[in-house]
Amino acid sequence: MNLKNIVSIFLLLTCLNVVSQSNSLAVTEIPEELKKNANAVVRSYDVVVDLSSTNKMIVNTKRIVTILNKEGNINIDAHEYYDNNSKIKDLKAIIYDRFGKEIKKIRKNDFKDVSAVDGQTLYSDSRVKYLDYTPISYPYTVEYTSETVNGTTGYLPRYMPINSYFLSVEKSSYRLNYAPDLNIRIQEKNTDNIGLIREDSSGEFLYKSNNIFAIKPESHSASFVNIIPKVLFASNEFYYEGVQAKAENWNELGKWIYQDLLKDVSDLPESTINQVKKLVENERDDIAKARKIYQFVQDKTRYISVQVGIGGWKPFRASEVDRLGYGDCKGLTNYTMALLRAVGIEANYALVHSGKAQQNFDADFAIMQGNHVILNMPLENEENVWLECTSQKLPFGFIGSFTDNRNVLVVSPEGGEIKRTKKYNIDENIQVINGEYNIDSNGNIKVEATIVSEGIEYDDKYYLESLEKRDLERHYKDRWDYINNISLDKMDILNDKEQITFKENISFNASNYLSIVKDKMLLNVNVLSRNTYVPDRYRNRKLPLNIRRGFKNIDELEISIPNDYKVESIPSNKTIDTKFGTYKMSLEKSDETTLIYKREFILNDGDFPKEDYADFRTFYRNVSKSDNAKLILVKK
Amino acid sequence: MKNTILLLFLSINLTAYSQNYNYGKISKEDFSISANSEDDAMILYKNRKTNFDYNSDDGWFVETEIHQRIKINTKNGLDWGTHSHLLLKSDGNEEEEMNVIKGATYNLVGGKVERTKLKGKSIFKENVNDYRNKVSLTFPEVKEGSIIEFQYTIKSPFFNIRDIQVQYSIPVKKMEARVYIPEYFVFSQFQKGYHPSQLKRTVKSRKINIVRRESVTGGAQTEVVKSSLEFEENRYSVSVSDVSALKGEEYVNNINNYRASYVFELAQYKPTNGQLQNFALNWEDVLRTISQSSRFGIELKKTGYFEKDIDALIASISDPKQKALTIYNYVKSKVKWNNYYGKYTSDGVRRAYKDQVGNVSEINLMLTSMLRYAGLNANPVLISTRSNGVPLFPTLDGYNYVVCGIESDNGVVLLDATNKYSTLNILPFRALNWEGRLVRDDGTSSLINLYPKQASQKTVSAMIKLDASGNIEGSQRTIKTNHEAMLYRENYVNADKDNYLEKFENSLDEVEISGFEVKNELDLAKPVMETYNFKSESQSDIIADKMYVTPLFFLVEKENPLKMEARDFPVDFGFPYIDKYRINITLPQGYEIESVPESAAFTLPDNIGSFKYVISKNSNGVQVLMDLAINQAIISAEYYDTLKEFYKQAISKQAEQIVLKKI
Repeated sequence: MNLKNIVSIFLLLTCLNVVSQSNSLAVTEIPEELKKNANAVVRSYDVVVDLSSTNKMIVNTKRIVTILNKEGNINIDAHEYYDNNSKIKDLKAIIYDRFGKEIKKIRKNDFKDVSAVDGQTLYSDSRVKYLDYTPISYPYTVEYTSETVNGTTGYLPRYMPINSYFLSVEKSSYRLNYAPDLNIRIQEKNTDNIGLIREDSSGEFLYKSNNIFAIKPESHSASFVNIIPKVLFASNEFYYEGVQAKAENWNELGKWIYQDLLKDVSDLPESTINQVKKLVENERDDIAKARKIYQFVQDKTRYISVQVGIGGWKPFRASEVDRLGYGDCKGLTNYTMALLRAVGIEANYALVHSGKAQQNFDADFAIMQGNHVILNMPLENEENVWLECTSQKLPFGFIGSFTDNRNVLVVSPEGGEIKRTKKYNIDENIQVINGEYNIDSNGNIKVEATIVSEGIEYDDKYYLESLEKRDLERHYKDRWDYINNISLDKMDILNDKEQITFKENISFNASNYLSIVKDKMLLNVNVLSRNTYVPDRYRNRKLPLNIRRGFKNIDELEISIPNDYKVESIPSNKTIDTKFGTYKMSLEKSDETTLIYKREFILNDGDFPKEDYADFRTFYRNVSKSDNAKLILVKK
Repeated sequence: MKNTILLLFLSINLTAYSQNYNYGKISKEDFSISANSEDDAMILYKNRKTNFDYNSDDGWFVETEIHQRIKINTKNGLDWGTHSHLLLKSDGNEEEEMNVIKGATYNLVGGKVERTKLKGKSIFKENVNDYRNKVSLTFPEVKEGSIIEFQYTIKSPFFNIRDIQVQYSIPVKKMEARVYIPEYFVFSQFQKGYHPSQLKRTVKSRKINIVRRESVTGGAQTEVVKSSLEFEENRYSVSVSDVSALKGEEYVNNINNYRASYVFELAQYKPTNGQLQNFALNWEDVLRTISQSSRFGIELKKTGYFEKDIDALIASISDPKQKALTIYNYVKSKVKWNNYYGKYTSDGVRRAYKDQVGNVSEINLMLTSMLRYAGLNANPVLISTRSNGVPLFPTLDGYNYVVCGIESDNGVVLLDATNKYSTLNILPFRALNWEGRLVRDDGTSSLINLYPKQASQKTVSAMIKLDASGNIEGSQRTIKTNHEAMLYRENYVNADKDNYLEKFENSLDEVEISGFEVKNELDLAKPVMETYNFKSESQSDIIADKMYVTPLFFLVEKENPLKMEARDFPVDFGFPYIDKYRINITLPQGYEIESVPESAAFTLPDNIGSFKYVISKNSNGVQVLMDLAINQAIISAEYYDTLKEFYKQAISKQAEQIVLKKI
C-alpha cells in the first residue's frame, strides 16, 4: 500500500560549515540533557538542496550521529533510494570511536544494495543502498555523506531533524537554493519548542535548529508523525518523471493529478461496461447500484502490490485491471471508479495517509503525499460514501480505522479538494453482549452468549470470520486469557455485511473458574468483558492525552448459581462518571438462584491536556477494579 | 480382435473418470474436487522433473521442470494466486535461470471452463540481493474457486537438487517427482518428516551427444567436433496422493523439521577424466569435507595473528580453567558478532580479528585456535540452529553454525563467543537444538547433546506486609542462573534503565516499584540478582468482614502456557528450569486466619517435572514455599495432555486463597 518514495523524501543532506575536527566528535562533548531518553544523538545534520530548475535537484546530506546503545543502531539512517529518475552520485561513511578517533571508512560500493520493497510488495523498481555496520563497541559515531541527483521535483526534501523516538539533535540545518523563476511555498509544523531560526536571502531559505531533546513514546498520545517538528517545502512549478507541472493549491494539484495521472487510464472494454450496466439495471438508487459494483469488484479482483510507473503514482489502466483481475490500491480504486462512472455514478479518487494514526493532509499546504488511495462517492444531502477497494472482505462503505476520520485529497475533473473521511462515533462503535452463565457446585462455569459488534468494534473482529477453527479457538482463549481451562463448545460467527454487524454465538465451559475456600465459592462476576487494561504509568507525563476512537460496550447476563449454594454477599452497584467516559455496573438478584449482571462502559474520544492523563488512568483503574468485583456463594 | 476392442473400451472408460494431468487440460470435474472447508487452497497436482544435462559451453547443469495446479478455495487462499520462486546466484557470474514460463487461471463460469493466460507483464523478476533473484508469477482473474496452473523450467549451474517436498501448509491431491542423476554425481538421499511413500530407484543407461567447436591448430578457424558420452543414471521417482496439510504450532522450534520431504545432497562428484571430489556421503565425509575446507580447517590452523596478544594475556596464568575463561572473555570483548550465521568463515579469522567484527564461524574458530594455542583440548562443534532444523542426516547443509567445545575428564564444556552473556555451557538460545558434532583434528568426532542438562533456576524471595485495608508493601529478590540469567541480561544490560523500569512496572498489575536494583549483571560468573520494593492497592478482595488474598500476589504467572486441546509435536522449552518461590506474609492487626490453602505436591511421569506447594502459619503470618520444575528441555507430544494438566493443577493451586477474618 505504499506509494513509493514518500518515505524516502527525507533525503538526508549535506553541508557546508561542519566543524571537522575529529576530537569534537568525542562522546564527552555531548551535552548531558541531550542524552536523556536518547538512544542516539545527532551531532550535526546538514542538508543542502539545490533546485536549479524544475527538472534538476541536487541534494547533499551530511549527518553525524553518535549511537549510544544497541537500540540506537536504527538511527544510523545512512541510506539513499534510487531509481530510473534519481541517481546516487556520492555516498560514504566514516566510523569514529567514542574518543572521536576514526576507525573505519565505508565507500559507496561497500554499502548494501537491495530492492526497496517490504515483504508484501511483489515488485518495485525502486532500490536502496544502505550502510550495514556492526558496531564493535558503544558509543560510536557515524559520519555519513551523500549526494543525489533527481529529475523529479514533485516533492522536495523536508527539514525534519528528528525522525524517530529516543533521538536528540545537537545541531541541524537545512538550506534550499532555488532558481529565481521558481515559487517556493513553505510550511512549518510543530516547531514552537525547538528554537527554529529562519534566514532568508535571495534565492535561498535557511533553517537552523539546535539542541532538540529526545521524545519518548507515551501511550494514548497523538502519533509520532503528528507531533514531530518539520518544515515542508514545495515548488509551484515542478517536474514529475518527465512531465512539467504547475500547482500552488490543492485545487490545482488535483487538476494536475487528474490530467496527468488519471484521465487516460479510465478505459474499460465495451463488454465489461455492458456487463455492469446489466448488473445494476434493476436498481433505482445510486447506493444500491454502487453496492453491486463494489461486490463485483470484490469478487473479481485481488490486491497485489506492484510499484511501477510514474513515481509509483500512476494507476494501471482500468482495462488492464479488468483483464488481469488484480491491481494495487491505485489500480483497483481507479478500476472501481471507472465502473461506477460507466453506470452514471460520480466517484472520485482520494489520496490518503493510511494507518491507525489518522495522519492528515494539511488543508493549507498543497504537496504530493499519501501512501494509499480510496474512493469517494459524494452524495447529495447525505454523508459521503468511502470505499476501500483493495479488500475482498470489507462491507460496502466501511473503511474502518485504516482510513477513518482524517483529511484526504479528493481528485475530480474539476480539481482537488480536501475532505474528511468518515468518523466512527461512540454510538457507532458498539459491542453488545447478551447471555447467561451457570455455575455448578464444583466451581465450574458454563457460558452461553451472543456478542454483537459494530463500527470500529466490527473492524477489530471481522477477520475472525476467515480464521480456521484452531486459530479461532486460540483467539477466544486469548480474548479471555484471565480464564484458565476454557473448553469451547460453540463458536458460530455471522458476518452481516449488509448491516455491518458482526455476531458471535459462543458457548464454553471452564473448570475451576470459581475459587473454592472451604464452604464458600468466590465468583468473579464479569466473565466476558473484564477490563484488565490499565494505561501505562509515567512518573512524568510529557505528551497530551489523545483518545483517537471512542466506544460503547453493553453487557447483560443472567447468572444461575447451584441449588445447594446461596448468595452470601453481592458487590455493590457502581457508577463512574468522568470526562473520559462513564461506567455503570449493577448486579440484582431476581430469585434465589438467579442474578442479573449489567454493565455499560463508554469511552469518549478527544484531546486532553497532559495533566489529565493521571485521571484518565485512574478511570481505567476503577473500571478494572469494578470488573474484578467478586460475589460470594456459601453452601446452604 | 474382440478382446482388443474390449480393452480399448475399458481404457477409454477409465480415462473418462480419471484426471487428465497434461498441461492445459483442466476439466469441469477438476473444480468439483472436494476439499476440507478449512483449507484455503489445495495443490491438485504437482509434477517435477530434475535432470542433469551437458553441453560444451556450460558443462554440466541441472534442469528442473515444474508443473503445478492449485485450487483456491477461500479469500485467504488468494495469496496462492501469486507464485514466487527464489533463484540462486553466486559471487561469480553464475546464476539460476527460469525459462519457458507459462501459466493460466481457470474459472468455472456458467458450467464452462474459462481460461485466462498468464502474460509476460505479470511475471516479475527482481534482484533481491547478491545471492538471490526472485521471480513472481501473478495470475490473472484469481477468485475463490479458481484453479491456477503453471509450468516452468529452472536451469541451474549449481549441482544442487532441491528437496522434493511432499507436505505443505495446504493439502496435496497428487504429486509426482522424478530426479535423474548421472553416475558422475553421487547424492545422499534422506527423508525428512514422515510420509509412508517410498522413493523408487532404477538404473538406466543414457547417452548424450556433444557438439563442440575447436580451433584448428595454428589458425583462427574452428571445426566442429562431435562426440558422445555414455553413462549410467540413477533414476529416483515418487508419487503420492492425498497428503494432508501440516501447520505450525507454538513451542515447535521449526515446522519444516516435521513436514515430509525427500532431501538430496551432493556427496561426490567424479568427472569423467578429473579428480574425484568428495562432499558428503556419511558423517565421516561430511566432517572431512568441512574440516578440509579452506574456510574451516585451514582457518583453525592459523595462529600467527593472535600469538603475541594471547602470550601476553595468559603469561601469568597457569590454571587451565582460568586460561580458558580469560581467552573466552577476551574474544567476547574483542570481536563483535555481525549477526551472520555460518560454519564457514567469510572474510577470514585474521580479518575478523583485525576489524573486530566477524561471523559465527570466524569468532568461534578463532576462539578454538586460541584455546588450543594455550594448551587446551579445544575443538569446533558443528551445530544446526533452531531455525535451520534438526540435523538428522549427514549433509553439509545440515550444519549452519559452529561453537567451541573443550574436552576434559569431566566431559565437554561448550563455549560460544558470539553472545556477550553466554557463559561456559550456557549457549545462546538459537544454538539449543538437539545434538552438535564435535570434530577433532585427528578426524574423529562425537555427538554432543546441546540441550542443557543443568536446569536454569529462578528463585524469588519476598517479604510482604498486608495491612487492614488490603494493601500490600514489601520487598523481593529474584535470583536467576544459567539460561534464565543469560536471557535476563540480554534484555536488561543494553536497555535504557529508566525505560526498562517503566516498562517492567507497567507489565505488573497495578504495582509501584521503588529501589530497583540489579546486581552481577556484568559479572557472568555469578547469578544475576534483581531486588526492589513494592507497593500495591489492588491485591486483595475485602468482602463483608473477610479478606481474600492469593499468597503469591503479583509475583507469579497466572496463565497456562499450553492452551490448545491437542498437540502433534514435541514441546520444546530450550532448557530445563526450576522456579522457586519463598514468600513470607505478615498479616494485619485486627484480622485472624480463617483458612489457608492446603499444601500439595505432584509430579510428572518419568521425572519430567514436579510441583510442590507448602504453606505454613507462623507467629505473625504465613509462609509459602513453591517449586515448579521442568527437568527436560524437550518433551514429546505423547506427554502433552499430562503436561497441560500439570500446569492447570499448578496454576489453580497458586490461585487458591487465604481467607482472613476480622476479629
